[in-house]
Amino acid sequence: MQAAIGFVRPVLVPCVTLLLVLAGWQAVTVSGLFRPDQFPTMTDTLTALGAALGTSELWTAVGATLQGWAIGLVIAAVLAVVVGCVLGANDVAFRSTASLIEVFKAIPAIAILPLVILVLGSTIGMKVFLIAFGAFWPLVIQVIYGVRAMDPTVSDTARALGVRGWRRFVTVTLPSASPYIATGLRIASASALILAVVAELVGGAEGIGRRILFARNAGVTAYPTMYAYILVAGCLGIVLTGAFFLLERKGMHWHESQRGVGTAGLEAR
Amino acid sequence: MNRRTRWARLALAVWLPVVVLVVWWFASATSNSPYFPPLTDILDELVDEWVFGDAKWQLLPSLRNLAVGFVGGSLLGVLGGALLWRVPVLRRATNPIVYFLYVLPAPALLPAMIALFGLGEVRQMALIAFGATWPALLNTLDGMRGIDEVKFDTARAMGFGALRTLWQVVLPGASPQIAAGLRASLQVSIILMVVSEMVAAEEGIGYFILEAQTVFAITTMWTGILVLAVVGTALNYAFVGIERRALAWHYGSRRIGGGPA
Repeated sequence: MQAAIGFVRPVLVPCVTLLLVLAGWQAVTVSGLFRPDQFPTMTDTLTALGAALGTSELWTAVGATLQGWAIGLVIAAVLAVVVGCVLGANDVAFRSTASLIEVFKAIPAIAILPLVILVLGSTIGMKVFLIAFGAFWPLVIQVIYGVRAMDPTVSDTARALGVRGWRRFVTVTLPSASPYIATGLRIASASALILAVVAELVGGAEGIGRRILFARNAGVTAYPTMYAYILVAGCLGIVLTGAFFLLERKGMHWHESQRGVGTAGLEAR
Repeated sequence: MNRRTRWARLALAVWLPVVVLVVWWFASATSNSPYFPPLTDILDELVDEWVFGDAKWQLLPSLRNLAVGFVGGSLLGVLGGALLWRVPVLRRATNPIVYFLYVLPAPALLPAMIALFGLGEVRQMALIAFGATWPALLNTLDGMRGIDEVKFDTARAMGFGALRTLWQVVLPGASPQIAAGLRASLQVSIILMVVSEMVAAEEGIGYFILEAQTVFAITTMWTGILVLAVVGTALNYAFVGIERRALAWHYGSRRIGGGPA
């Protein structure tokens, strides 16, 4: 009995809250606290969500958002790992570029959005560029810190064993920096999704953000659809963040930083 | 560190940015590209628009919305995080909802905010506050949960009251992570400030840049981008400066402890 309660409770309590929130949503909208042109009812929204899930429109939008997110993130990650490993391994190169990288990291990526829209238009290329630009700077800093945090014993051993060049990069530098890179990727993935939605809202590229704006512009009858798309955007966030969180936890279990008590990840400052 | 190495380090830190600016200056001097006007033109326009002209007043509504939204949102977040830390039942119950709202890309809510609050600045502040709440809340919660139980036992043994425990144990223990959360909140807030000004708005720095782009006033757009870049950078650096100062004891003890400073 005790065991059954222990098993059920972690699932039961959140489910009850979810139902309460949904009921509360229905209550504030049906009672007239919020008018339908402000906030649609829960049942209308879930009906719209059910209908949208059966349309190709929704899946095209999800696909377009995911595509921009993935390509932008991959470009940023590859560039950041290559550049970060080079800069992290060389002190003069690191000190020369540190200030420039810090400044570019501090610039909000959205500042360059109008310029990117102008040059590339409302295209997937515009979205990818914005995401890659925004994700690259924090990521490269993570990689540099990861490389520089390498245990001196490991580095000396590799040198004594004559492990150099490409082999050193793959067998020593990358594994040692990988927990930092994993944390950086999780953070970059979240900001990449935000920038994807921004590129769709402001820049008019195909994707969930654009569909949400379209639904609002279509007037009150489309508001449930707007909220349905917002729910889908949130689910996308859950799936992507969850995936990177698992990657960090499960993929890095061999690294000493993860072997102790559960750490919250390694973030460069 | 002696004087010579200090100068050498400074030289190392500044030579590349200087080279980048010089290259931009000369490479763009003869530029015919409509998108990349000469840097001299941009700087002339910058002085005209932002020093003598009225463009600088566009910063006021932006910074006001940012200040109200960021401060309101992070206050809510810190208080909410502390509440969830104190009441484990509430924490377990709200966990999925909080997590959903945290990972929801906040700009997606902009059209909904327009529906809820109309086109004025209230929806901008509300959106910024919404985005700022969740990183602050989750980091406060994590920071408070991460405090060593021994510290509470010690405080109890020494007869600390609730308020004294809060001031001398909970806040110092959680503040590095709270600061990290507020830093993340500030970054989200800046993005949301600009996005909310780029959709159906009539004032603010984001509006200024997008409006210039729409009427193809490229040099004017560039001045806006530069100003936004400088303001965003300055806000981030100001935050880090305050954080370093407020948490000087923390960084100091980390250095002594041999951890990464």
